Amino acid sequence: MKKILISSVLAVALVMGGCKDNLDIENPNQVTTETYWKTDADALAGVNATYSTLHRGSISRWMFFYYIIRSDEGWSQSPATDIVNNMDQFIITDYNYGNAYGVWNDNYIGVNRANQVIDNVPNIQMDETLKQRYLGEAKFMRALYYYHLVTLFGNVPLVLRTPVVGDKPASATQAEVWAQIVKDLTEAAAVLPNSYPSTDLGRATRGAAYALLAKAYMQQQKYTEALQPLQWLVEGDGKSVYDLMPNYRDNFLITTENNRESIFEWQFEQNPAETTDDDTETPNQNYGSSLPQFFGPSGIGWSDGEARRWVTREFTEPTTTGARDPRLAASFLYDSTNVKGPDSTLIYGQTFTQRYGRNNQRVWFRKFQNDHWKNEEGYRSPNNYRSIRYADVLLMYAECLNQTGSTAQAYPYVDRVRQRAGLASLSAAKPGLTQAQFLEQLKHERLLELSGEGHRWNDLARWGDLGPQLTGRDPGFANFVKGKHELLPIPQQERDLNPNLAQNPGY
Amino acid sequence: MKNSLWKTGRRTQKSPLWPSVTLTVLLAAISPFGAQAADRPKDKAAGPAGLKNAYSFSINKEMANRAAVALAIRGRVTDEKGEGLPGVSVVVKGTNTGAVTDQDGNYALNAPDGSTTLTFSFVGYLTQEVVINNRTTIDVSLAPDARALEEVVVIGYQTVRKRDLTGATSTVSPDQANKVTANSLAESIQGLSPGVTVRSTGVPGQQASIQIRGVASFLNTDPLYVIDGMIADANPTINTDDIESIQILKDASAAAIYGARAANGVIIITTKQGKEGPIKVGFSAKYGVQEMYKRWNLTNSSEFAALQRTQYESAGQTPPASVALGTFNPNINTDWQDQTLQTGSLQDYNVTLSGGTKTGNYLISGSYLVNNGYVIGNSFNRAAFRINSRSQKGRVTFGENMVLTNSNTQSPTSGFNPMYDMATMLPVIPVQDPSYITTTNPGGWGIGTYPNAVTYAFNPVAVRNLSSVKSNYAKLVGNAFAEVKFWDWLTYRFNAGMEVSFDYTQTLRQTGVWQYNAAPYPSSVGDDRSRFLSLLFEHTLNFNKTIGPHNINGVVGISQQHTTRQTTGASRTNLTYAGGQYYGTISSATGTATATGGVPDDYRILGYLGRVNYGYKDRYLITFTGRLDSDSRFGSNYRTGFFPSVAGAWRISQEKFFNVPWVSDLKLNVSYGKLGIVVPTLGSWPYTAYINNNPRAIFGADQTPSVGAYQAQLANPDLRWESRIQQNIGLDASFLNNRVSLEFNVYNSLSRDAILNLTVPGYLGNLRGNPYVNTASIRNRGIEFAATYRNNEHPFKWDVSANFTTIRNRVENVGNQGQSINYIVSGNTRSQVGNPVGQWFLVQTAGIFQTQEEVNSYVNSTGKVIQPYSKPGDIKYVDLNGDGVIDANDRTFVSSPWPKLQAGAQFNGSYKQFSLSVQLVGVFGYTVYNDVRRSLDSYQLTNFRKDVSPWTTQNTATSDPRLGLATDQGIVYNNLAYSDRWLENASYVRFRNVELGYTLPRPFLSRAKINNARVFVSGQNLFTITGYTGLDPDVTGSNIQERGVDAGHWPSPRVFSLGVTGEF
Repeated sequence: MKKILISSVLAVALVMGGCKDNLDIENPNQVTTETYWKTDADALAGVNATYSTLHRGSISRWMFFYYIIRSDEGWSQSPATDIVNNMDQFIITDYNYGNAYGVWNDNYIGVNRANQVIDNVPNIQMDETLKQRYLGEAKFMRALYYYHLVTLFGNVPLVLRTPVVGDKPASATQAEVWAQIVKDLTEAAAVLPNSYPSTDLGRATRGAAYALLAKAYMQQQKYTEALQPLQWLVEGDGKSVYDLMPNYRDNFLITTENNRESIFEWQFEQNPAETTDDDTETPNQNYGSSLPQFFGPSGIGWSDGEARRWVTREFTEPTTTGARDPRLAASFLYDSTNVKGPDSTLIYGQTFTQRYGRNNQRVWFRKFQNDHWKNEEGYRSPNNYRSIRYADVLLMYAECLNQTGSTAQAYPYVDRVRQRAGLASLSAAKPGLTQAQFLEQLKHERLLELSGEGHRWNDLARWGDLGPQLTGRDPGFANFVKGKHELLPIPQQERDLNPNLAQNPGY
Repeated sequence: MKNSLWKTGRRTQKSPLWPSVTLTVLLAAISPFGAQAADRPKDKAAGPAGLKNAYSFSINKEMANRAAVALAIRGRVTDEKGEGLPGVSVVVKGTNTGAVTDQDGNYALNAPDGSTTLTFSFVGYLTQEVVINNRTTIDVSLAPDARALEEVVVIGYQTVRKRDLTGATSTVSPDQANKVTANSLAESIQGLSPGVTVRSTGVPGQQASIQIRGVASFLNTDPLYVIDGMIADANPTINTDDIESIQILKDASAAAIYGARAANGVIIITTKQGKEGPIKVGFSAKYGVQEMYKRWNLTNSSEFAALQRTQYESAGQTPPASVALGTFNPNINTDWQDQTLQTGSLQDYNVTLSGGTKTGNYLISGSYLVNNGYVIGNSFNRAAFRINSRSQKGRVTFGENMVLTNSNTQSPTSGFNPMYDMATMLPVIPVQDPSYITTTNPGGWGIGTYPNAVTYAFNPVAVRNLSSVKSNYAKLVGNAFAEVKFWDWLTYRFNAGMEVSFDYTQTLRQTGVWQYNAAPYPSSVGDDRSRFLSLLFEHTLNFNKTIGPHNINGVVGISQQHTTRQTTGASRTNLTYAGGQYYGTISSATGTATATGGVPDDYRILGYLGRVNYGYKDRYLITFTGRLDSDSRFGSNYRTGFFPSVAGAWRISQEKFFNVPWVSDLKLNVSYGKLGIVVPTLGSWPYTAYINNNPRAIFGADQTPSVGAYQAQLANPDLRWESRIQQNIGLDASFLNNRVSLEFNVYNSLSRDAILNLTVPGYLGNLRGNPYVNTASIRNRGIEFAATYRNNEHPFKWDVSANFTTIRNRVENVGNQGQSINYIVSGNTRSQVGNPVGQWFLVQTAGIFQTQEEVNSYVNSTGKVIQPYSKPGDIKYVDLNGDGVIDANDRTFVSSPWPKLQAGAQFNGSYKQFSLSVQLVGVFGYTVYNDVRRSLDSYQLTNFRKDVSPWTTQNTATSDPRLGLATDQGIVYNNLAYSDRWLENASYVRFRNVELGYTLPRPFLSRAKINNARVFVSGQNLFTITGYTGLDPDVTGSNIQERGVDAGHWPSPRVFSLGVTGEF
């Protein structure tokens, strides 16, 4: 009896304990990579993720400190001295400086997303044209992220495949990175559409690929090579897609987003309930930009970055009707945004005088701020960032023509930009400039047209103008060491983890 | 099976006259019975213990055959408190005549004549012999047994006598633990057991950090908690007053029965059970006040203004209006510590009802604890209700242990640490002032203003008023078992355990800001609910057989555990605000709503376990233990691990050749084995690569979010168990009739395949946390020593215990981290091969530049001025690599966050009705990175220490650099975060607890029908002797690799309490 009892209990015990197969538990929360990448919807979502990167915190905020504040048009009086030192004054206190690392990391997050599309989408059975477009978009986005990386950090590792733990690539030279950018953009331009239906506005177009390709060539001083993609935009098919907006300020308002002048535009939208900038943490994320909060005038935003006053003094040339260049008021908030002065200038609903008195010399960037529709800023600005405008392309084309010896042919494109602002044509104002004079004029034109849009740093770099000689405009440049400060240091942590990475010169 | 034997052991305490010789023999090996009745030295020069054991058996055999007798004797046996002691065995010496005391301690028996001797014995008490001397009434007071050797120790699925232990197991007295006012069990055992490192915090309701024998894993150092056989976390929701015993299994042999989860040690908690007898009502009440015993000594607004003026002036700048002469307003003088801190309070009430019969017992307890922390807005409370019961019917015993708890914590928003803000916030900023009112700051909370009083510190009062996080945990932890005794040597047990928890967190945010220039924030409410369920099913067979001098016992079994957690969350912005109050529900809010939900945990563990103990003549003991564990959290190739161990013990004092009268017991034991570690943060599916579909791209004229998806987190399909090979050599000894006892252990453990959140380079674009990789191995070696001296022979009874531990921690391997990289970085630490985990890796300071010449002449070998930006009064750094630049390449290992020595000491004394206990904790030879001081002494955007002594040409003998602004590179460099300027020796000795008690006199109580009652006052953390300048040297650190970072650690509070315990 006892034995029976014992055996039966043991049998029950073994049965209850021995169910090995139930150790395979499915994750009900997420799809595995093995089951993903099977349908065109999967491919589309993969491509979308590459764009989602653009509203991540570091890329949409801190990167512009490096392109705008670090250049001579901007500066920082932030009480957070790490910003002042590292992002304005060329005092690099920490090679792992968090905001620099964030920019580095966000761009590589974008690269990773693009790589996954480029690796997986070719194996999906789907409409071939659509597949090629998706691959083209991913290549464009990868090129865009590498464009940021090469212009900020220079000799960065080239990661071109879905990463695996333990990948330890060596540094690539800037030339190698540029070559990859050119390759990706050339391939992208071949397959991307000239335009999208209105529901897909914001995706990379052929025009965007050509424009970025031209920028990539120009940063390498390859002006001849840059001419071809620019010709497509200015004289070729692009001519029927793009045009200047009649009103300059339309390029910076939330009411006129994705207009004819916009070649590539980062799309932002407000999510009032968001809890994070991290777009992988929850769908309830911030897909707005926080830059307006950080550039916001004192009392409105953090004022961590602001404009140099000398830029406002460059707008000396009156319009043909004798008025002030309208681009000045569209570009800056300061005591004379309204030409009548501080008592008439409105800063987010209050006069400048009310806010700061009459003798405050500070100047804030206005272009992507939201003062045209509300009296506060925040971390969730819905105002799109017009990354590449047609005006920029026209000036680029003029620059390439001039650099390749066709100075006379370059005039009409500068004229278009000037005339839209109401100025006399350059052909009328300054005919017959030499190549060098024309370049100097172009530098002036680009400053007036594109200030505070994130192009200044790369313009100065391309022209070889970065150096202590800018100290007069921007005292921070007193610390600038040629051959060193053109690039940021490769983050120390990356070099700690991967000794194959070389540090940039001078660091 | 653990509970069954434990229970049997308990039963024998109450009823030693067990009617079965076989059972007696059986129990001799596994329980205190058998030997205990007579295994007592008859005098201080008792003979060899082996003979005593033989004697004990014969007595018991005789006891089984009762005989007739003559002289009637009665009396009462009481314990040291004067309370009647039930179940005491009273035997006429040299006969088989005996009796057992009843519930009140009374006994009656017939002795053969008036000149013989009575022997009184009871587990846990010294056996006493009394010559009858023709008396008919003999009252006896038994003294507690000084020796721990007869203790029964729970070792997992089994109990053994402590003397038969082969592994390293510590027993912590709950009496000692409960003297400390603690948030959690872990906190209460600080300093009580060697090898157990506890670091606690002052956050109400927060678990302390505990490490047993060093760190074997980079991700998890928590021991496994087993509560009455249920594997469940002993977090602050468990009432420590319910605990009857705490056993800490430290080495491989002791812990191997818990296999894959045991390598960080196992803490086995057994809760109280009812005892045979009529209902007893126990009660205790305690009221305490708590406060931070130390504050930062900071400048007031006038002193601050003077310092900041100097700071601006020395930088050639105009001081801001808040401090400038003429505009400085001395009426604003906010002491932010006063505003943030309060005198906290603590109340703890317990009532216990218990009783039982020979075949069943019960215990019901209710408790309520409420702790208002020393920081405004932080509190914790817990109500708990426990029912434990046992019943026996024939060969079958049923029982259950169950606790229902309802706990609440409240705090301001997470992501806010007042320990920084109350120190760094400026005294020239008012708490609240109409001048601060804006649309985003309708409350007018004082915050930094540009260009006046600039600081990014939070206004802690505003945070407390504008935000709250309330969590509720409604939880049931318990187990039920049935056990069948097939034969006297074989018992089957089925144990079902359950932990179910309903967790609810409400997050509220009112409109308003608490920081300079902060973006406007809409009011919002968030509700997060989660359901946790863990089920444990275990089948075990326990056996125990003695044949001649051979005893073999052990357990085999199967254990299955299934754990799930489901979560749902929702939030909404724009709370309704009407009639001066916010409506805090989601439906009453009107803004954007969001919802989340998922199954963060769902995993199963299946284990086959077994242990065999073999003993020969009580002298030679050997234990084999093994467990085969499979866990669904690893891929099928790596799922199953086998964790074996072996241990042996030699009781030298039992040998015939060993004849040293003053040595009562001497045992040597050795163990070797392998254990696993589970890293709970791995989640349930860590080895699989998943698609993250959270990204959202905006497209289209109407700016619609579109779903994006990709693999965000790198995955490692080869993830497998962490394991730890442990070796232990131990020596247990007691001397002088057990008045002195010693425990000495030497251990050496090597953890392998330690899982790292391998820091991956940013260029891989990884998100959602670094991937888990088995890559490291860590060795821990150490010595543990504990000694106790007891003196119970005089009215003044006292004992003193001391223990110390050394832990030498060494990283042996970190896998392939790339060329010449043999370390892992975390903050300012490196865990490098050959060094301890998380060693400080910093640039060294070399004093202060006194003159410009000194700056100019500080050059490297090529003549390059190393700190050209520095001025006299600036910090000088060591240019370690000689490249003429101070940067991260000049970092080196500077010192260790690991204590060289940790010690604890306890003193307990009693004289008549008074008792005094003192607990001390000492930790020596380690450094702490004082990050709050880094903030303060940077001089930027912060208040100043009152005793700061900045360098000036008149004040050169100082270690504080010159005042200045961070627009000056010299000043920036003074504040390098990666320098040893912020490291401090944090060695300390602390009076952890002092308690003075008084047992109320019996006549006084009997009128109130109270059996006994005791009142006490205690003081916790009364003194701390340390050179550390922060608030508390006992920091818990940021993570395992940054164990020595004081990132605004909440100090253990000083607690004064007053309490009463009693029984009626």
